[in-house]
Amino acid sequence: MASISIRNLVKNYAGFTVIPDLSLEIADHEFVVFVGPSGCGKSTLLRIIAGLEPISGGDIFIGDMRVNNVPASRRNIAMVFQDYALYPHMTVFDNMAFALELRRVPRSEIEARVRRAAAMLHIEPFLERKPKALSGGQRQRVAMGRAIVRDPQVFLFDEPLSNLDAKLRGQVRAEIKTLSQELRTTMVFVTHDQIEAMTMADRIVVLQAGVIQQVGTPDEVYATPANQFVAGFIGSPTMNFFNVERSGERVVFAGSDRPVPLGEAAATRVAQSGKAVLGVRPEHFAVAPDESAGIPIDVSLVEPLGSDTLIHFEVAGQPAIARVDPDVRPVRGNRIALRPVPAKVHLFDGESGQLLS
Amino acid sequence: MTSAASTDTTLSDDWARRVNTLLLVVAGILIMTPTVWMVLSSFKPSFEVTAYPPKLFFTPTFENYAQLTKTTPFLSFALNSVIVTVGSAGIGLLFGIPAAFAVSWTRISWPALLALAARMAPGTLFLLPWYVMFRQVGLIGSYTALILSHAVITMPIAIWVLLPSFDNIPRSVYEAAQVDGCSLTRILLRIALPLVGSGIAVAAILCFVFSWNYFLFALVLSNGDTKTLIAAAFNFVGEGSTQWGALMAAATLIALPPLLLAAVVQRWLVAGLTLGAVKG
Repeated sequence: MASISIRNLVKNYAGFTVIPDLSLEIADHEFVVFVGPSGCGKSTLLRIIAGLEPISGGDIFIGDMRVNNVPASRRNIAMVFQDYALYPHMTVFDNMAFALELRRVPRSEIEARVRRAAAMLHIEPFLERKPKALSGGQRQRVAMGRAIVRDPQVFLFDEPLSNLDAKLRGQVRAEIKTLSQELRTTMVFVTHDQIEAMTMADRIVVLQAGVIQQVGTPDEVYATPANQFVAGFIGSPTMNFFNVERSGERVVFAGSDRPVPLGEAAATRVAQSGKAVLGVRPEHFAVAPDESAGIPIDVSLVEPLGSDTLIHFEVAGQPAIARVDPDVRPVRGNRIALRPVPAKVHLFDGESGQLLS
Repeated sequence: MTSAASTDTTLSDDWARRVNTLLLVVAGILIMTPTVWMVLSSFKPSFEVTAYPPKLFFTPTFENYAQLTKTTPFLSFALNSVIVTVGSAGIGLLFGIPAAFAVSWTRISWPALLALAARMAPGTLFLLPWYVMFRQVGLIGSYTALILSHAVITMPIAIWVLLPSFDNIPRSVYEAAQVDGCSLTRILLRIALPLVGSGIAVAAILCFVFSWNYFLFALVLSNGDTKTLIAAAFNFVGEGSTQWGALMAAATLIALPPLLLAAVVQRWLVAGLTLGAVKG
């Protein structure tokens, strides 16, 4: 078990700076998820922690040990790869036992540890099979089993669920979370799926272009996103953004005189910024009793999901989605009024995208 | 319209198939004629080998084969060929396997290109330096000289046959082994080698065939005791006359091991040579 400390990390690759200057502290026993769009540097960062990528600057500590020049084989970490990376010529048992054999662990202990991990992951019946005789989900479990038997200081997961179908993904996601609670080991998990990040993480690290945009608990990044990028990345459907400006004492949608029903404090913040972006999550719209109490909109599409209803509409030329009660079932072309919940809206600077406080 | 177009396609496909078959037959005849002629000639009395027009129907005789063993230490030459071929194929694989793995691992390809250039260069380019060097160290006529010189032929073959096999192993499998605690040597021995078994078999066979058939180095660097079959067969070509029957019998016997090997592992050979050419 160990903490991870990344200090002023720089990674250049083929003349490009992939990570310009990144610092991050991951506590012992913490489950941290790196999330971000493709090419944001999350997998590179994980591979750097693993020792599979050299670094161009800065320091990395695992526990008390500076591991900048320590090869992957001596970092005492375990990694689950996106494509599982099982050894095709070995049985499941041998795959799981391989790392222990290299460490000259006694045969009886190897046997016990492999059997224990196999029982934990329900793969005991497959121990004598080769990976090609397993399904995707079973291979995924073997890959995790191979990591578990090692009893490493840190577990690293590189998008391990991306090759599974939706149903299996949900199941394995829950299993990994259960496992993390049982094992109490430091875990770093990379994903581009914000639902995985939200459901599994103790803390989420949102990355874009090799720069940390926000580090926080799932609740923090959801409720108080540091900037427009984080706000747009976390949440599904994504947060709606509307360009707004101050007009007299009111806040209006940019380029129109349609007022935004926000409080005095919000109007002040918009005034300070000049041009601002209003962020409203779909679930933070409420249906207003009449047009004067909300924003009148023309419904362009209705998606009934059973648990709730998604309403698509446009305001001042800007497309948006509202998530409302399942009982609300307007039809295309209906005019209704929606009101953003004032306490839940976010205002971002129109230029920098940073949250206006 | 659609039907007409479909008929046209079928017709052109049919013609393409016929032309392909014809070309294959022509190529087959061109390739096989000398071989068939060689084998038939080896069973003809010596004076009938060069008869014109050639006799297709004759009474087969084994006198050429008998002459081989009577007039030359044929089995010793065969043993020499086996020693040199196995030795050079072994050295080729011993160095070629880690070299191919290193090229695949580092993705630095110039060493492989250099090895290929060495393979492509005419043998005469190496012959004189080899001769001088081996004479200096007193190895002319030794198995060592023959095995080392033939390794120049076999090692590039091993590298280039194995390179796609190593490239075909997903990088993440190597990385998983690294994380599991493997050194590079261990990754090669425990992970990569078991996964490129068929590639190694193909490389070994090709090394064997190329070394077995290589004439020039054996002709110059061997002596009476270490002469290989292919160089020894040259003895039947005299200044005044050539013993065609014996020569054909020797050539038939020399061609037999590579042909048998190729026939036995034909399917494997093609799969191994095209490994990595397309994404599976």
